[in-house]
Amino acid sequence: MNFKLVSFVFFFSISLLSAQKSEYTSLLIPDSLKQNANAVVRLDQIDILISSQRNMNVKNKRVVTVLNEKGQEAINAYEHYNKKTTVENIQATVFDAFGNEIKKIKRKDFRDQCATDGGTVFSDSRYIFLDYTPTQYPFTIIYESEIETSTTAFIPQWFPLNDYQLSVEKSILNVSYPDNLGFKKMEFNFANFKINKTVDSSTKLSYIATNIPALKQEDYSPAYSVLPKVMMCLELFHLEGVDGTAKSWKEYGQWYSDKFLTGTTELPEETKTKIKNLVGQEKDPIKKAAIVYKYLQEKSRYVSIQVGIGGWKPMLANDVDRLGYGDCKALSNYTRALLNAVDVPSYVTLLYGDRDKHDIQSDFVSMQGNHMILSIPNGDNYVFLECTSQDNPFGYQANFTDDRTVLVVKPDGGEIVRTKNYENKGNAQSSKGNYSLVENGDFSGNIEIVSQGSQYSQKYRLETTQPTEREKHYKEYWDNINNLKINKTTFSNDKDKISFTENTAISAVNYGIVSNNKMIFVVNAFNQTSGVIKRIRNRKNPFEIQRGSYDTDEIAVALPTGFTIESLPTTFELNTKFGEYKTEIIQKDNNNLIYKRSIFIKKGIYKNTEYDEFRLFMEQISRNDNAKIILNKNQ
Amino acid sequence: MKIKLFVNFLFVVFFLNANAQEFKLGKVSIKELEEKACPNDTTASAAVLFNKAKTFFKYDIKFGFSIVTENSYRIKIYKKDGLSWANYKLPYRTGYDKLNDDRVEFSDGVTYNIENGKIVKTKLNREGVFKTAINKNWKEATITMPNVKAGSIIEFKYILISENIVEFPDFIFQYNIPVNSSEYDVDIPGFFVYKGVVKRPSEIISESKVTRGSLQFANEYTVNKTESVSFEQQSNRHRAYYIPALKEEPFVDNIENYRISIQHELEKTQFYQEPVKDYSTTWEGVAKTIYLDKDFGKELKERDYITQDLARILKNVNSQTERLDVIFKFVQNKMNWNHKKGYYTDKGVKQAYIDGTGNVAEINFILIVMLNYAGIPTNPVLLSTLDNGVPIFPNRTIFNYVIAATEIDGKQILLDATNKYATNNILPTYTLNWTGRLLREDGTSEIIKLEPKFLSKKGVNMIVSIGENGALSGKFRVLRTDFEAFTFREKYEGMNQQNYLEKVENDFPGIQITDYNIENSKEASKPVIENFNFTIDNQCEIIGDKIYINPQLFLAETKNPFVQEKREFPIYFGYPAQEKFNVNIEIPKGYAVESIPKAIKLQIRENVVSFIFNAVILNNTIQIAIVKESNKQLVSSGFYNDLKSFFQQMIDKQNEKIILKKI
Repeated sequence: MNFKLVSFVFFFSISLLSAQKSEYTSLLIPDSLKQNANAVVRLDQIDILISSQRNMNVKNKRVVTVLNEKGQEAINAYEHYNKKTTVENIQATVFDAFGNEIKKIKRKDFRDQCATDGGTVFSDSRYIFLDYTPTQYPFTIIYESEIETSTTAFIPQWFPLNDYQLSVEKSILNVSYPDNLGFKKMEFNFANFKINKTVDSSTKLSYIATNIPALKQEDYSPAYSVLPKVMMCLELFHLEGVDGTAKSWKEYGQWYSDKFLTGTTELPEETKTKIKNLVGQEKDPIKKAAIVYKYLQEKSRYVSIQVGIGGWKPMLANDVDRLGYGDCKALSNYTRALLNAVDVPSYVTLLYGDRDKHDIQSDFVSMQGNHMILSIPNGDNYVFLECTSQDNPFGYQANFTDDRTVLVVKPDGGEIVRTKNYENKGNAQSSKGNYSLVENGDFSGNIEIVSQGSQYSQKYRLETTQPTEREKHYKEYWDNINNLKINKTTFSNDKDKISFTENTAISAVNYGIVSNNKMIFVVNAFNQTSGVIKRIRNRKNPFEIQRGSYDTDEIAVALPTGFTIESLPTTFELNTKFGEYKTEIIQKDNNNLIYKRSIFIKKGIYKNTEYDEFRLFMEQISRNDNAKIILNKNQ
Repeated sequence: MKIKLFVNFLFVVFFLNANAQEFKLGKVSIKELEEKACPNDTTASAAVLFNKAKTFFKYDIKFGFSIVTENSYRIKIYKKDGLSWANYKLPYRTGYDKLNDDRVEFSDGVTYNIENGKIVKTKLNREGVFKTAINKNWKEATITMPNVKAGSIIEFKYILISENIVEFPDFIFQYNIPVNSSEYDVDIPGFFVYKGVVKRPSEIISESKVTRGSLQFANEYTVNKTESVSFEQQSNRHRAYYIPALKEEPFVDNIENYRISIQHELEKTQFYQEPVKDYSTTWEGVAKTIYLDKDFGKELKERDYITQDLARILKNVNSQTERLDVIFKFVQNKMNWNHKKGYYTDKGVKQAYIDGTGNVAEINFILIVMLNYAGIPTNPVLLSTLDNGVPIFPNRTIFNYVIAATEIDGKQILLDATNKYATNNILPTYTLNWTGRLLREDGTSEIIKLEPKFLSKKGVNMIVSIGENGALSGKFRVLRTDFEAFTFREKYEGMNQQNYLEKVENDFPGIQITDYNIENSKEASKPVIENFNFTIDNQCEIIGDKIYINPQLFLAETKNPFVQEKREFPIYFGYPAQEKFNVNIEIPKGYAVESIPKAIKLQIRENVVSFIFNAVILNNTIQIAIVKESNKQLVSSGFYNDLKSFFQQMIDKQNEKIILKKI
């Protein structure tokens, strides 16, 4: 009996020990989680403890089995810190596929690096990260960290699944908070995932997500609406030594104005006089603003310096005036000061600057955004100014701040508005030109291309860019023409109309391929559809065309003498929910043709099942863009 | 002879003086400020009007010698695009083992503008100077000049002090914007000898003479008393004027190889009454000093840690070839590279062996030691990777990588165990850079050519039939050897097969692949072979009663990679390669061949590239055979026009159609 008991104890303790180690062996992962996955998150537990308005503690335990080399970034073993945020603990342990420990990594073995990117001159933000060289796959890593911060304005967002090609066995969020700070949360994209809210009280919130298989990244997926997330915030929060309240956007705007903008717009008398003289007798506020904007663009440049509160509070307008540089906040606020001097009201505006249209979540009052622009009231609307750009036309926003909700910060409160939408047919490119071919297939042509709307932004820099870059642009734009020579280019940039015109003369040898008394060439020389739409097996996500576009071409084609037409492409027309496409050839006489082409792509969000239809539409266009003319040499 | 030399000397001095305009910070002219475009390059967004620097020595009784570099700039901003030149970043070293951190001090920062016809100065204050610790070995000092706009001129100066006397900071004559004048002076006390390595030396004028120099330093025992020593010193003056902007080009091995610059590396020290200490002068010197370093020579002698494993893996393995194979694979599998380069060990081979991870020196030293111990004489070869530049003169600091070299039956074998797909003489492509240096323990050394001398091959076979509506179906087989196989494995081995096929299908729009299989994907010493069946519906153009089809189908190249009008720098191909395509197209029932493209043979001088195209009709198939070779790794820019027209003709031929006609 006694003996048995001992052996039982012995057995028990052994199993306990090995259980601890084998809990995360790579061998136990179900196949459903391995499919399409480079790594599996076995457990990701985040415990957020908000003890007061000025104190937050975040603990993270993340257990990841890395299946192959590409799965390494799923480890996510890094923490940011600065003067207000300290890393209390950071460590990791590595296990082999059987759950045997192979390495312990202590804090001193993590690397410490400043968090500036190339465009930033200075930032006091740093991060500690793990630089681990795996010795085998698969392996499992347990990462543990704890940070302590006085900044409660940003509660980490919870992403139960934070990447593609990554599956999750279990992900847990536990938040606790005093009931008097106005804790709020908002859930996004939960529909297709197994996520349970386990606690939701006045002081505690918990979620658990289990068995999420890996997703594949799919082109044209709508931005920010695939992966699940929870946003959280406090109505009473703290940021860099400043307490804040935000129950509504109005209140938030007031707080932002009071704490960060008050007293920042003073300017030297000299500058005020200068700007008044520049504006002169002009009365119209928008026209005044255009003069001020031009002055700003001549005088300043974008330099990013982020130190402490300076990450939120704009540099004083006086300093920007003296130094001639600043970040988006500094330059927007400086422009506000200049406009103030000529009695034009304007408001700094918070938003996400991004090619993808990224909204400020308007029904969730909290600190959001990564960029600042300036809004000037214009009747019921606003004109928005990008103050970091030295060459944008006045009020131009396409492809970075267009068509999204933003927060206009007024002294009496914040207001959510939507920025300018660059509509379908307004994003136009119209080409008019001609080309001719001679007997040996050599090509020469002239073309005028006018770009407007969002297409303007893809072109207007050609004017100032280096000749080598310009040549590169055209050789890519017309990469369907081999042996291309750019003989001449001239540009005109009409910033008032937001219209950019290129006039180009080009030539190329052997554009028409001559063999066996025939010449074959593609009639659409000047505007081939770019971008093949990828075939995606079993597409899961809906897809989005973020901005529409409208191209029209009218090209006169002169055929070589001594040839007769064997075949001409027929008129081709497509009319679908995604857009319209039409080409036709008008034969003027034996040697002269007019080629007309129009392509209109509509903005829109479509179902996953419609993707193949869209791909087919684009494929037909691309095929017809390659339609050829065949000529016979006269014998 | 003597006279000639004298005249030469006079001429140089005269020449230097003729160009020598006195450049001093603070003396900006209205003319410079009013200039709207750079006269020598109207497209330039900014230009360095002058850059003047000197490097000299300082002595401190406590810390010894340090190198002081003073560098001043005057830069004109012509266009808004040039505003980025108003920020200047200077990285500097910290965290040395035994030396103090480098120090940097900026001064004399001023922006000049013209307002109402008058020069207005804005000084750079402390608020525009930043220092950031990037990581434990590097800091970065940044200045951002105030009040800069298109038309401004900026000036600034910095002093960089370093106790690391092994090398000077590189001096750059050429930037990505034009430089009007660049002057670099160096004073080296006679007890040091430095080797100066100049990139594109024909572009600069240099003069060297012996002068008297002196150093002042605080007396060790008496406060407020300075000591002085005087000595002969080497004074070198380097000048360059009107240097064009350095412009990026495609197919360049490393653009930095062509940037005009000068490097200095310590060769020897010869202190009074002390023996001469040789650092590098000759390759023998280089070999010796490197071997003497404890992180090199000693690490290569260490062998206790491997004996047990070695005995185990070599049991019953007898021939040299097999032994090499077993050892190489063992190290390659066991060791994992942490992506750190260098030719000195970091944590040491023993620790690396236990951890299973290490830097390139640790991993390849383990390989070298094991091979030697197994009776296969093996030596380290130092080399410089592509991104690190070209080693031309004997020096240590240019190298940043080490591999292993051995010989079996008189045949040289180069090995790199850091890479999972490397094998005998197949090294990661970034190591194929000019020459390496083989070092022996006895201090002798030897040049090793790293350019591969053999053709890496890719062979494609296709058998294709044409369906009713012009859809093609067929069998596809591709075999890749050597570097072709290496690069393929590096890219795709380990990729999920579904994803890989999706990628192939997207590379060739319209294709659908079935029955895919791959042979030898993991066995690096064998060719990798892929087989699949395919259908593709957009390769035939049916116009009227004719079918037009490309002889090389979807594999025809359509774009000439050489599109530049003018070429400045040599063209880099990577490694010699051969591509073969054999395509058999079955003539569909009811059709006859109207025409097929004619045979052609293209070749440029020195057989840099060649292309052979043959098409014949045999029974009811059209048989196409294409061989394309590029035989060099690097050719001079003089070949550019030939290459461009070669590719043009080749692509034209590849896109000539086979025409079938309904009968």
